[in-house]
Amino acid sequence: MRELMYLQAINEALAEELERDEKVFLIGEGVQTGTFGTTTGLVDRFGPERIMDSPLSETAIAGVAVGASMLGYRPVADLMFADFMYVCADEIFLKAAQWRFMHGGLQTLPCVFMANIGAYRKLGNEHSQCPFSLVLRSPGLKLAAPSDPYDAKGLLKTAIRDNNPVVYFFHKGLLGMSGPVPEEDYTIPFGQAVVRREGDDVTVVAPSFMGFWAIAAAEELKDRFSVEVIDPRTLEPLDLDTILVSVRKTGHLVILDEDTERCGFAAELAMQVMEKAFDDLDAPIKRVCAANYPIPGGVMEKYVIPQPEQVMAAIEEVMA
Amino acid sequence: MKFEKEDLVKLYRNLVRTRAFDEAAVRWLAQGKLLAFYHPAQGGEAPGVGGCTFLRDDDIVYPHLRGHGLPHMIGKGISPKLYLAEHCGKATGAAGGMGGFHSVFPEKGALGAGGTIGSCFPVSVGWALAAKKNGRGQVVVCFFGDGSANRGTWHEAANMAALWKLPVVWVCENNGVAQFVPIEDAYPLEDLSNLASAFGMPAVVVDGQDVMAVAEAVTAAVERAREGKGPSFVECKTARFGPHGIGNPDKVHGKDRDPRQIEELKRRDPVALFRSRLLEQGVLTEEDAERISREAEAEVAETEAFIDQSPFPDDPGMLDRALYAE
Ligand SMILES: Cc1ncc(C[n+]2csc(CCOP(=O)(O)OP(=O)(O)O)c2C)c(N)n1
Repeated sequence: MRELMYLQAINEALAEELERDEKVFLIGEGVQTGTFGTTTGLVDRFGPERIMDSPLSETAIAGVAVGASMLGYRPVADLMFADFMYVCADEIFLKAAQWRFMHGGLQTLPCVFMANIGAYRKLGNEHSQCPFSLVLRSPGLKLAAPSDPYDAKGLLKTAIRDNNPVVYFFHKGLLGMSGPVPEEDYTIPFGQAVVRREGDDVTVVAPSFMGFWAIAAAEELKDRFSVEVIDPRTLEPLDLDTILVSVRKTGHLVILDEDTERCGFAAELAMQVMEKAFDDLDAPIKRVCAANYPIPGGVMEKYVIPQPEQVMAAIEEVMA
Repeated sequence: MKFEKEDLVKLYRNLVRTRAFDEAAVRWLAQGKLLAFYHPAQGGEAPGVGGCTFLRDDDIVYPHLRGHGLPHMIGKGISPKLYLAEHCGKATGAAGGMGGFHSVFPEKGALGAGGTIGSCFPVSVGWALAAKKNGRGQVVVCFFGDGSANRGTWHEAANMAALWKLPVVWVCENNGVAQFVPIEDAYPLEDLSNLASAFGMPAVVVDGQDVMAVAEAVTAAVERAREGKGPSFVECKTARFGPHGIGNPDKVHGKDRDPRQIEELKRRDPVALFRSRLLEQGVLTEEDAERISREAEAEVAETEAFIDQSPFPDDPGMLDRALYAE
C-alpha cells in the first residue's frame, strides 16, 4: 500500500471531505499556508472562501465553528495548538459541548476543533499540553487522538461527518511519521480501539504518541513479558470492551497518558476497569502520566512529562 | 521630551545591541544551543527599544514576542545575558531554567510574558490598577503586534483601562503581518490606532522604523499616564524582514511574500536609518559607531561564553519550590 506521512494523511482527509461535501469549510490562523503542513495547499484547490485565513481571534474562530454548524455547515476550526483552547474555552466547552443538550436536543452542531498536542520539544506550558482531560470532562464533545497516518485520515473523516462537535488532536511528535494509507475512501468508526500488539501477560493502554513507547517497551521486554498494547483511538466514545477483554486475559494493566496525572484519562480509565473487572486484576493498576505540574520550559520538562524508562518500570512493577 | 546627546547614543547602542543579540539568537537556535523556537526581531526593533529606553526602572513592561522581548528588555536596561541563558535552558537563567523563552526580571519591571498571544492586555490592566493604587507613579507599557490586537482580550482590557483612567500605554508594533496573515485581511481599517477611539483614548501613529519618533511618542504617552490622565495608544508602523519564526516559510495566504516588498522594507532598516541620522547630525562619528558595534559583539561573545559554561538545571526539587509560594 502507498505510504503517507501523518500530516499528509490529515491533509488528504480534509481535501476529500471538502470535495465530498460543499458544507465543509476550514477556518483558522494561517490555514492557507499551514503551520504544520496539515492544511497546506488546500486553498489552491478549494479557494479562500472555504479555506479561510482568519484574524488572530481564537474565541471568534471557535464561535464561528459553533454558529455555522448550527445552520447546516460542517466547519473545521484549526486552533493550531491545543493549549489555545483555553482562549476559546466558552465556545468549545460551554457552547459546542452543551448547547444541543441545553436546547433539548433540537440542534445539531457538526463541527470539528483540530489542534496539535504534545510535549518533548521544550516549548513550555503554553505550547506542549495534551489536554485530554479538559475535553473528557465536557460531556457533549467527542475526542479523537490518532496515533498513525491511517488513523489520522480515517478518524478525521469520521469527525467531519459526525453530527456532533469533535475535538481532533494530532500529535506534534507524529507529524512526519510515515505509514500505509489506502487511496480509496475509508472511515474509522469512533469508539473502536485497536490492539496494536497482542500479548498475554500485561495490557498497556496507550493513546496517541504514547503508543510509540508502549510498543518500544513491549519489544524491549519481550523476553520477559508478553505485552498487549491497545490504542483507544477515540477517548470519547471509549471502547472499554476491548480493554476489558484484554485485562481479563492478562490480569495486569498499565495506562499511559501524556496529560497531567491528576483527574486525567488514566485515572478515569483505571476506575472504570476497577468497577467492571476488579476481580480479574492480579495486581494494582499502574499509570504513567505527566506529573502534577505545569510543563516547564527547557530541559526541566523531562522531570514532568512521561519518559520511556517510566513505561518500562511501570510494566515491571505491575508484573513484579 | 528633549533628547540629549547621551540619550541618543544610548538609544543607538540599544538598537545595535538588540540587532547583535537577535542575530546571535538565530545562530544559537541553528546550533541547537537556543531551545524551542525563535521569532527574530529583525526589522522590528525600534518600537521595543524606543518605547523602553527612557522608562523608569520600576515602570512595568509587557514585551511583544518579536525577538522574544529582547528589544524591550535591552531597552529597559535588563542584561540579555540571563534571559538568553534561560532561553538556552541553563540553570543560570533568569528563571533558573524553568521558563524557557518566557522572560522575567521583576527588579526591572519585566514581570513575565506569555506564549498565548493577546494575553498581554488583561494582565497589563492588573499591573496598571496596582500601579494606580500604590501611588508610586509607575506606568505600564504593553507591547503587542497587529495580530495580537485581533484578540477579544484587547476590548475588555482597553475598556477597563479607559474607564478607570489607568496608567497604561498600549504600543502596537504593526509590522503588517501576523505569522502568515497580512493585516489587510485581519482588520478592516488602515490604522489599528482606531482601536483606541472606541474607548476615547488618545492615539498616535508613528513611523516605527524611526526609533526617535517612537521614543518621543511613547515618552509623551507615559508622561500623560504618570500624571493620572489615563491610557493612550501608540501605533508604530514597523516591519518584519524575515519569516515569522525560524524554520517557517515566509508566506502569506500560502504564497511566498513578494521579495521586492521585502527589499523595500529592508531599505528602511531601523538600525541603519538611525545610524545615518546620528552621523549626519554629528552626534556620532564613524569611529563611535564602529566602537558601539564592536562592544555589542563583545557583549554577545561574553554572553555566549557564560551560557556555554553554565550547567543545565538538574534539580527536580525546583518544581515544588516554583509551584506554590509558602
Ligand atoms: C492565542 C494564540 N494564538 C496564536 C498563536 C500563534 N502565534 C504566535 S505569534 C502569532 C502572530 C502574531 O502576530 P502579531 O501579533 O502581529 O505579531 P508579529 O509576530 O507580527 O510581530 C501567532 C498566530 C499564539 N501563540 N497564541
